[in-house]
This record gives sequence, structure tokens and C-alpha cells, in this order.
Amino acid sequence: MTVELLTKPSRVPQWLRILWANKKSRVGVVLLSVFVLTAVFAPVLAPYDPESTDFAAALPASGDHWLGTTQQGQDVFSQLIHGARTSLLVGLVAGVFSTIIALLIGMTAGYLRGWVDEFLSGLTNLALVIPVLPLMITLAAYAPVRGVWLIIFVISVTGWAYGAKIKRAQIITLRTRDYVTAAKLAGDGPMRIVFREIMPNMTSLVVVGFMGAATAAIGAEAGLEFLGLGDPTTISWGTMLYWADNGGALLTGQWPWLIAPGLALTMLVTAMTLINFGVDALSNPALREE
Amino acid sequence: MRYFLRRTAFFVITLWAAVTLNFVIPRLQPGDPAEAIVGQLTGQGPVDPDQIRAVRLMLGVPDTSLLSQYWDYLGSLVRGDFGISYTYFPYPVTHMISEALPWTLVLVGVTQVLGFLIGTVLGAFAAWRRNSRFDSFVTLGSQFVGSLPFFWIALLLLYLLAFLAGWFPDSGGHAVDVTPSWSWAFAGDAIYHGILPALSILVTAPAGWIIGMRNNMVQSLGEDYTRLARAKGLSVRRVALAYGARVAILPNVTGFALALGGILGGTVLVETIFDYPGLGRLLMEAVGARDYPLMQALFLFITIGVLLANLLADFLLGVLDPRVRKEAA
Amino acid sequence: MSLLEVADLSVAYATKNSPPTHAVRNVSFSMAEGECVGLLGESGCGKSTLGTALLRLLDRPARITGGTIRFDGTDITALDENALRPLRWRALSTVFQSSMNSLNPVLTVEAQFRDMFRTHTDMTSGEIRRRTAELLEMVLIDPSYMRFHPHELSGGMKQRVALALALALRPKLVVLDEPTTGLDVVVQKSIMDSVRTLQREQGFAVLLISHDLGTVMEIADRVMVMYAGSVVESRPAGEMLHPYSRGLLGSYADPRAETVDVTYIPGRPPDLSRFQDGCLFVDRCPVALPKCATEKPPLAPVGDGLVACHVAPSTKADFADSTFVRSVRAVAEAPPVLEVTGVHKTYTRRRTSVTAVDDVSFALRRGRVTALVGQSGSGKSTIAKLLTGIERPDTGTVMFGDVPVHRLRGRAMRRYRKDVQLVFQDPFAALNPVRTVRQTLVRPLRNHLGLSEKDARARLESLVDTVGLAPAFLDRYPHQLSGGQRQRVVVARALAPEPSILIADEPISMLDVSIRAEIVELLDRLVHHRDLAMLYITHDLLSARLLADEVLVLNKGTVVEDGPTIEVIRNAQAPYTKLLLDALPNPPR
Ligand SMILES: Nc1ncnc2c1ncn2[C@@H]1O[C@H](COP(=O)(O)OP(=O)(O)OP(=O)(O)O)[C@@H](O)[C@H]1O
Ligand code: SF4
Ligand SMILES: [Mg+2]
Repeated sequence: MTVELLTKPSRVPQWLRILWANKKSRVGVVLLSVFVLTAVFAPVLAPYDPESTDFAAALPASGDHWLGTTQQGQDVFSQLIHGARTSLLVGLVAGVFSTIIALLIGMTAGYLRGWVDEFLSGLTNLALVIPVLPLMITLAAYAPVRGVWLIIFVISVTGWAYGAKIKRAQIITLRTRDYVTAAKLAGDGPMRIVFREIMPNMTSLVVVGFMGAATAAIGAEAGLEFLGLGDPTTISWGTMLYWADNGGALLTGQWPWLIAPGLALTMLVTAMTLINFGVDALSNPALREE
Repeated sequence: MRYFLRRTAFFVITLWAAVTLNFVIPRLQPGDPAEAIVGQLTGQGPVDPDQIRAVRLMLGVPDTSLLSQYWDYLGSLVRGDFGISYTYFPYPVTHMISEALPWTLVLVGVTQVLGFLIGTVLGAFAAWRRNSRFDSFVTLGSQFVGSLPFFWIALLLLYLLAFLAGWFPDSGGHAVDVTPSWSWAFAGDAIYHGILPALSILVTAPAGWIIGMRNNMVQSLGEDYTRLARAKGLSVRRVALAYGARVAILPNVTGFALALGGILGGTVLVETIFDYPGLGRLLMEAVGARDYPLMQALFLFITIGVLLANLLADFLLGVLDPRVRKEAA
Repeated sequence: MSLLEVADLSVAYATKNSPPTHAVRNVSFSMAEGECVGLLGESGCGKSTLGTALLRLLDRPARITGGTIRFDGTDITALDENALRPLRWRALSTVFQSSMNSLNPVLTVEAQFRDMFRTHTDMTSGEIRRRTAELLEMVLIDPSYMRFHPHELSGGMKQRVALALALALRPKLVVLDEPTTGLDVVVQKSIMDSVRTLQREQGFAVLLISHDLGTVMEIADRVMVMYAGSVVESRPAGEMLHPYSRGLLGSYADPRAETVDVTYIPGRPPDLSRFQDGCLFVDRCPVALPKCATEKPPLAPVGDGLVACHVAPSTKADFADSTFVRSVRAVAEAPPVLEVTGVHKTYTRRRTSVTAVDDVSFALRRGRVTALVGQSGSGKSTIAKLLTGIERPDTGTVMFGDVPVHRLRGRAMRRYRKDVQLVFQDPFAALNPVRTVRQTLVRPLRNHLGLSEKDARARLESLVDTVGLAPAFLDRYPHQLSGGQRQRVVVARALAPEPSILIADEPISMLDVSIRAEIVELLDRLVHHRDLAMLYITHDLLSARLLADEVLVLNKGTVVEDGPTIEVIRNAQAPYTKLLLDALPNPPR
């Protein structure tokens, strides 16, 4: 399956073709696209302004309000659609940031070795074992302003370690490959070697790392918002759950308000996991489907 | 032996780093951290002078150098002095923590060990019956369940089993009219209260271990030594356990050590939802009340707990895997 | 009645996403009790698959698609695992290819004997321990190693343990799948000697799978040759008749002879996912007839064996067009281009230090090949690194004319590297999988010769032509090339900057025997046409004899013997050189 794919160089990036080739990740890609489209066209898709409190409070699900209204009289369905924006934004930005940090730290440690490596690896291992959520909570508790960007910041500075560890390991095996020595002998400089010889062999790893980081970020954002550590006026699935919980959705029997954001979150995370599964399967032949 | 020494050294270093991090975080604010924090407090309404005193006490004598503050801080840690809780004045922070600690310890300990065991066993079965219906069901199922946000599961369980069905209590670690004591009655009550929180952790906990174990074991079953074990005519049981599973479990143990930090974080959410009297809920309370000394101490305790558990898991790996003992040498 | 009777056996690997590979095709043969049969063939021709099928150990995606295997009178083709278990190990045992991984890493050696004894016998713990000790002694391992875990043993010891394990229950048939690949020649020799002695003593039958011709010819009573999933010849070791067998055999020669000639088989084996009419070897066969393409030759008795070829009974094929001949030749004196004097190199890892190179001196001259021969760990590759400036010597000098290589840095080092290039051992690791041949070859031209992108590209065609590749290969990725083609690209890259010195680090050891001579010929041609100085690093005396004018024998970092190749080989003085020479197989010719 892969061989055939690899032999046809084309404009579509290789990793995307690889993803598409795997059944599971194809489902994931489709699912994720649905979420992305929802987020982009949220204002068009949502029946009402998600922040407007014009409606009667705590309405049950009906033709007008598919998922009912909140305690403040906002339309739950519209909030759900707009919530996709926050989740994807956090996933994207925090994913990119922690991937960049992971790349910088992992690559520096792996390429330079020596005491730099000892130090950075120690730092990575430290960051790996420290309980992230309590750290996030503590950091968020001190912050003067709360909001999505704070959450993104906190997630990025706490979530890079796993990726850095993997990338370091990868670059250590790559840098001693014969073709890297060969590039040295062919007169290429270190920059060119890192970016043209080594990096292209890490793309799938970087993609996996990014997806993993983004997935974790989406989950962490929802968790932090749910705990009320974000700005409770932002519209996101996490704050929806926060309000549903605090607004007594349980007591009033407004189950769609409680179920919908969680389900959306689950679907999004599932989509990302499925995609990652495909990438993983390709880098590890033992996992390939038979 | 080397391996165990190295792991212990790493533990000591991380411990020091965590302690230092704990010292640094409140001082990250620009300007005088105490002023900043007090300012933040006053910005939210009238402030009790006690609270300001607590903050100042926690941050050490102002106008002294950071170094001497750090020294004092280390000194008070060694003496076990974590300051006075503002919310629960005049109790020292340690008192609050020692009340909450057993709850979390039991909840997390039981659920995580169970989750690990269940996951590992199911994963091993899935690998042994690779590509069977059981395998696809378990693998796909755990992929899906694994991506469920588990605080949401907690909410659902609470809604379904406590509010609608009324089978379990909706909050607390024990009934209000039962006082904690070493009695069967209390233990039964605590278990009854613990079932829902435990269940909400246990729904997702095995998922990761299932997938990890399955993939490792598919690999170890394909290795030459397993094929050789079959060629030797060993019983199916022996091949599956001593060759397939025995090797495959090792990466899962490493994974367990690394996952502990995340797991403990998750319990904060569950404890908050079920109003379960553990460290996590206490942490959220402290955050809500801006009880900084309590918050700091909790962060430190949780971190130390994770580091200790991590050390244990590393030791376990050292006992199980002859190769890591050698490698470190 | 024979011990093993295989009739019409076929095995296919069927994966979901690609057409099935028919790795074993209608194979029939039999083995008598106590017989030692060698199974030869190029990599990928189905040897291991056949061996695994006989043991009934095939796993998905492999499946027996037809035929029968009878062992000791019982048909075992379709027996289920429970019915097989009593046969396993008691009657049929094995040592796997790459036994490095065939011991369980978390169990002690003793435990891996114990579980087997517990399953098949009712020996007590004490008896088991005593027997295990005996078995280990039998393969020359101190019984105290019983308590060790596999990672605490060397590769050779693991192999011996695997062998002791295989013989523990005195089986009737042992399948040995490349039991010594990856080990040092001397160790290989001693393991094969043990196998032979034990086989004589205990009288078990052996199926020895290998692509080491010399060893198989020396040990086996009978040789079977497989090509593309089929057995093409089977007869007592000695002269072979099938063109393919002759081609394979031609790649081995005795390095001690006055004139050494080796052949290679041009082309590569067919795609095993397709069935084709006629003889599968037809594309590579030098004596093919028109009917070979349409009519499949049956495996029929000729002389004292069987052969599947239309012409074999009458014509003896030879590969005259693809022969490399080396006789003793006089070498002109030339001034040295590179002089190595008294270099030392010690590596320190953590607390232990290893002396890799200890007081080595030699010179490289234009138009001459100097071979560096030694086992793994003898310091050969470290010397290559010192010469290319990848490592620096602790003491001693490396002089390139009047340039002190051991002191060069930065720009000067780059300038020097234009003149010294390296051919790597593993052609699969030496090419970046994501870059095309063109992208790879353009770099040294631009960097070292300072050519513009356009000029560099214009030069590529003639460059690949020197190594015998068509220009069409320029746009291929490494995974689209065969091993031999990759190695040609690696050589082309080394030649690109027009160096005066070429260092070839085991350039053929990872290649299939059938194509080695091809690369040797290429290197030899380049040295003479371009008047290069070459350092040829190898563990193999035959290839040293083929290429090199002079030899240095290296042991534990020191040169134990040097001189003109033929003299060193014919008239070895140092005990270590003698040991290497003794390890050369002595096949009946
Ligand atoms: N797991 C597998 N899945 C698909 N095809 C396979 C698998 N294992 C082997 N093959 C194919 O079966 C054919 C025979 O392989 P086999 O390992 O038997 O060769 P061999 O003669 O033992 O080679 P070598 O000398 O390299 O050990 C090859 O074409 C190989 O690509
Ligand atoms: S049958 Fe024909 S093609 Fe095949 S080996 Fe014999 S001569 Fe060559
Ligand atoms: Mg093989």
C-alpha cells in the first residue's frame, strides 16, 4: 500500500496521502473537516447570536431551540456551534506552540548532545513527570487576566515535553545515519544538513506530535474552562459545561445542555485520535492493518 | 544497583526542581509579588487583613534578597511548616492536607491500579486473538472511550445514576451523619460514596493501557523468541504469558510512570464534580478563595506524590526488566 | 523411508493491500535420517519461508497454499497446534536466522532451558540444571552463564546457547537458518565446527540454510539451490549444473590461488507476486534458449542429482561476460598521497575507555589499493574516520601531502574532503530516503567543484554512467533501487568531487553474494582508470585478495601483519592472520 503511494511523487504532501490511505485516519480527516467548516461558518450556521440572552431561561429542547436554552436564556445550539471555534483555535495555536517548543528543545538536545543534551533532557523529564493540570491551575490562579489566551499560554508551556522527548530520540538516530555523514563529506553545512537531510525525514513525526499536542490542548482547555479558570463569558464547550454544571442543568433535567458539548468534544478528539492512528500505523509496520 | 541509584538521583533532582518551581511561581509577577497579589485581592472586593498577612508570610520577609527568601523557604519546608491556611484559619495548611490526602490516595490508588490491570489484561487478550472480533471491538472501543473527556463522563454518571436513578449519593466522601472512624460502618459508607467518582475514572482509565498493551504484545508475539517458544512446544499459556505478555508489559510500566502526572490532574476535576473531600477539591477551593498558601502547599504535595509514585514505578521496572538495570550502568 | 518428505509445497504471503507473494512454489524434496542438507540461494528467494513452513511456524500473513510435509511418516501439513506439540523440539528443532533475538530478554538462560525440559520431560530441577550445564559445555560455554540474561552474552554466545537449546532433546531434524550471519569469521567457523562435530556424534539431520557458499559446500552432504521460490538443483556438494547454481558458486573462490576469478549474476530476481511461464531464471541466464521463456523445465535427475534446466545436461553455463579476474600483478612504485604515522585513538564512554587504534602507520599511493583486514571491533572503521577527519587521533599524524589532516578545521577541512571520499558499508543507510539520486549527487558537485546548479546537473549523466547506471536512474528514490544499484549511487557520490583518495568501508558486505563481484569490478576499474588511491576496509580475505595490492591485518587496534596481498595470504606469519585464514571454508571443488 505504501510503496505504491511513495513511488508517485505528486503535489499532495506525502503525509496527507499517507493519512488518506488508512481507513481509520480517513474517517478522522473527514470528521475533522466537518468541525473546521462548522467553526469557519459558525455565524452562518448558528440560528441565533450565542451571547444574546433574549430568550426565556432554561427552556427544554424544542423546534425553536434544538438543544434548549441556558439559565441565562441563551440558545444552547448556537453556543455549541460557536464553541467549535474556541476548541479549534486552542488546539491549533497551542498545538503549534508546543510543537515548536518541542522541536527546538528536542532538536537542540539531540543534535548537540553533550552537556546541553544532559540539561535539556533533564528538563524534559522533569516537565514530563510534573502533574500538568495542578500546575496549570496554579499558574492560572496567579494570572491577573484570564481568558483563552492565558489558557493557550499555560497549555503551551506545560505540554511540550512528550513531543520533545520523541523528537530528541528521533534526531539522535537520524544524525548518526550514514547519509548525514555523507552529506558532511559532500561539503554541506550543519544548517543545510539539519533542514534538508534530517527534517524531511521527521515530517510524519512532527505531524503526529502536533496532532497529539493539539488533542491534549483541546482536552485541557475544556477542563480548565470547566473548572472556571478561564473567562466564563467566552463561548466554548468547556464554559458551556461549567455553566451547565453550575446552573443546575442536572436538577432541571436540561440534559441536552450537558450532553451536547461533551459529545462534540468527544467527536473532535476522536477525529484527531483516528488521524494519529493512521500516521502511527505507517511509521510502525507492526500496527499496520492486515 | 546503578539503575536504582540513578533513578533515586533523578528523583532528588526533580524534587528540588519542583520545590523551586513552587517558590518561583508566585514571584513571577512583575514588581513586588506580594503587592501584586494583594492588589489582585483588593480588586475583587473587601479583603480580610488576615488574608494579606497570610500572603506576606508565605512570600517571606519583604525587602530581603530572593536568595535569603529562598533559604528561608527551604528551611520552613524542612521543618514541615507550610504556613497557615487563610480559609481555614487558624489551621496550618498541613492539617488540611492531611485530612484530604487519604481520600485522594485511596481513590486514585485503587482506580489507577485497577485501570492498569484491567487495561493490560484486556490488551493482552486482544493481542493474543489478534484481528478477531474481540480484538476489533476492544481496540476500537477503547479508542473511542479513551477520547471521552472524563469529567464529562463524571457529569453524566452523576446525572444518570445519582440524580435520575438515585442509586448513589451525589456528593461527598461520606454521609454527613457518619463521622470518620476506623469502623466497618464508616468504611462501607465511604466505599458507597466513592463508587461514582471511581467509576468515572475507571471508564476511561483502561483505554490507554489496552491499546498500549495490545500493540506491544502484537510486537512481542511476532518476535523470534516467541516463535522459538512455540517451536519448543511450550504450552499456549506459557508462550502467551512468559514470552508475549511478560515482555510487552514493560513499556506499559514505563508509560504508567509517565502518565501519573496527568492522572492526578484528572482527579482534580472528578473530585470537584462529586464534591469529594480530596486534595483536588481542596485545591479548587483554595483557588476559589485565593488561599495562596494552601494552594502552593497543595501543588507541592501533589507534585511530590506524583514524583514518589513515579519513583516506585521506575523501581518496579528495574525489578521486571533486566535490561534497564544494565543500561544505566 | 526418509525422515522428511516434502511434496509440491507452496507458501504465499497474502496481505490485504498488495498482491500475494508466492514465496515457495511447488517444492518437493526429501531428507534421510542424519543427512546434512544445505539450502542456498539469494536473499528473498524463500529459504527461510521454506524452513519455517517445515517447522509449521508460519504466521499470518503467510500460509501453506498447497502440498504436503511428511515427517517420520506422519503428515504434519495440517496438524493443529496441540497435535504438533509432542513433535516440537523432541523431533524437530531449530536455530533461527539472526538468533540475536531468539532468546527471551527477560528470562535467564537457565529459565529458557527449564521451561522446555518441564514441558517435555519430568526431570527434577537438579537434573535440569545438570543437563543444562552439560549442554552449555557442549557448545563451549561456561555453565556459570546459566544465570545470565541474554543481553549479558555476546552475539556468538547467544548463538551457541540457541544451538545448545536446539539440541537439548536430541531431535531428529534441526533447521539451522543462517546460524552464523552477523558474527565474526573466526566465531562463525568455531560454531559451524561445533555443529558438525555434534551432528556426527548424535546423528541428527540438519537443514542448513545459508547464503555463505563456502560453508555450505564444505559442510553439507547434499546441496539444494533455490531460486525465486523453487528448488532448481539438488545434488551432493561439488560441481553444480544449473546455470544459477554455477553463477552462485562462481562468486566464491579460494583467495590463496594464483589467479582468482569470481563471477556475478547480472540482473535481479523476478517479482514473486507474479507467475510466469517458462524458466524463472531466463532473464539472467547466459545460455537461455528460446523455449526457456515458454516451457518450464522440470526438476529431473541428471548425474547424481536433480536439476531443473533445459540445457544443463549438455551445456555448462559460465558467466564469462560477468567475471572479474585477479591475478598477481606488479604494482608501480608511486609516491604516497596520504601518510598515517603512529596514530592512537581511545574512546571514553562514561568510566570505561577503549583503545580503538593503537600505533598504526601506513601510506596510501595512487593507483593502488590497500586493504585493512580485521574482525569487527578491530578498529577498521575508526581508521576510516581518522582519515576523513570525522574523528581526530589522540596522537600521531595524518598527512595529505603537506596538509596536516589531524589538525584541520572548518573551511580547510572542507577543502580536504574534496580529496578524500568515503563509500559506505550499508547502501540502505547511506542514501537519504527522501531525496532523489539527482538531488543527492548534485551536492558534492556544487560544494566541492563550485559548479552552478546548471553545470552540475549537466555533469550528472556522465557521472552515473561511470558507475554503470542509466540516466533514467537519476530521478529515482533510493527505495526504488536494488542494493547493487544503491551502492553504485554511493560510489558515484564519492567520485563526484574527483577525489584522489577513496575509502571504501566494507562496501560489499551488505550485498548479496551474487552481485558482490560486480561492485568489486567497478571499484577496481575506477582505481586504475582514475589513478585513485584506495583504502579498502573488509573482514573478508577473498575480497581483499580481489581488490588489494597490499594488506594490513588489524587486530585489537594494532597492525599485526602487512605486505603484498598475495604474500600475506599465502605465507601468513602472525598467528592472528593464520586464524583468519583457517576460518576460510574449504569447499570441495
Ligand atoms: N511477512 C512477510 N510479508 C510479506 N512478504 C514476506 C514476508 N516475509 C517474507 N516475505 C517475502 O517472501 C519472500 C521470501 O522471503 P524469505 O525470508 O523466505 O527469503 P530468504 O531466502 O530467507 O532471504 P534471506 O537470505 O534474506 O534470509 C521474499 O520475497 C519476501 O519479500
Ligand atoms: S532453463 Fe533455460 S533459462 Fe532456465 S536456467 Fe536453464 S538454460 Fe537458463
Ligand atoms: Mg532467510
